[in-house]
Amino acid sequence: MSSLSSLVVLAQAAAGEVGSGRIQGGWGFVWVSYGITWGALALYSLSLWIRRPKNSPVGPKE
Amino acid sequence: MGKFFRMALPPIALGLLAVGHYIGLFVAPPDREMGDVQRIMYAHVPAVWVALVGLTLNFICSVTYLFKQSWKTDSLAEASAEVGLMFGAVGVLLGAIWGKPTWGVYWTWDPRLTTAAIMLVTYMGYMALRRFVEDPEKRATWSSVVGIISAVNLPIIWFSVKWWRSLHQVQSSPKTVDPEMVVPLRVSAFAFLAFMILFIIHRYRIAQYERQLEVALPEALPGDGAGANRTAGAA
Repeated sequence: MSSLSSLVVLAQAAAGEVGSGRIQGGWGFVWVSYGITWGALALYSLSLWIRRPKNSPVGPKE
Repeated sequence: MGKFFRMALPPIALGLLAVGHYIGLFVAPPDREMGDVQRIMYAHVPAVWVALVGLTLNFICSVTYLFKQSWKTDSLAEASAEVGLMFGAVGVLLGAIWGKPTWGVYWTWDPRLTTAAIMLVTYMGYMALRRFVEDPEKRATWSSVVGIISAVNLPIIWFSVKWWRSLHQVQSSPKTVDPEMVVPLRVSAFAFLAFMILFIIHRYRIAQYERQLEVALPEALPGDGAGANRTAGAA
């Protein structure tokens, strides 16, 4: 009987977690991930800008 | 056409990225199991997708070069490999960060993660090979062979979650994902695709310029006409 009531309590607790996620928080991981993504896009753009051909290529461009 | 892409793509890519990531971070609902941590998906999945697209383009260029030698094809192969590798590295890094709160570890030798790591190593080797070989023709031929061998791993990465028991989830589809999550994922994917095309265009121009300098150089050296019979931009 006590195990049944424990199961009911656990089920109620689980239902309360649905919608907000069982893993609570974690925004730090999210911001680090987006920071790496935006940083990589910005840095790679910068590297392409630095390496761009300084003079117009001679001959056909395409 | 090329100028249109170079001028129009940056604002399109930035706009799509801003919209996709804004919806993913602040509008889309949290996942039932992973909560807000799942929002990493809107950066991780598009990065891996476009990496696979870029490296598949490298495979096509590698095969094409072996049948029809062209500096254009070689330059496009170099550009697509570098851009694909950059997006692949971002995708794997974000996957490791996502793994910590969900699996409890940053890294484990799971089939998907292992094949993704092999992808990074092989394409780093590809880029290193291109740096070490000075002869442009040998470099183009050898790197084409390495590009083809490296591409064998690409379908294995995709199907690894289906073929073997994996911690990594199988591919989701719009039928299995909340529509509110599909929208930011698609918008972010198009943003990454626009960035990939833009990066490849600019990297291709750099590679073409370098080929022109390399091929033109032997003509200036007395008694050495190697490579003088082929010019960049011509097949």
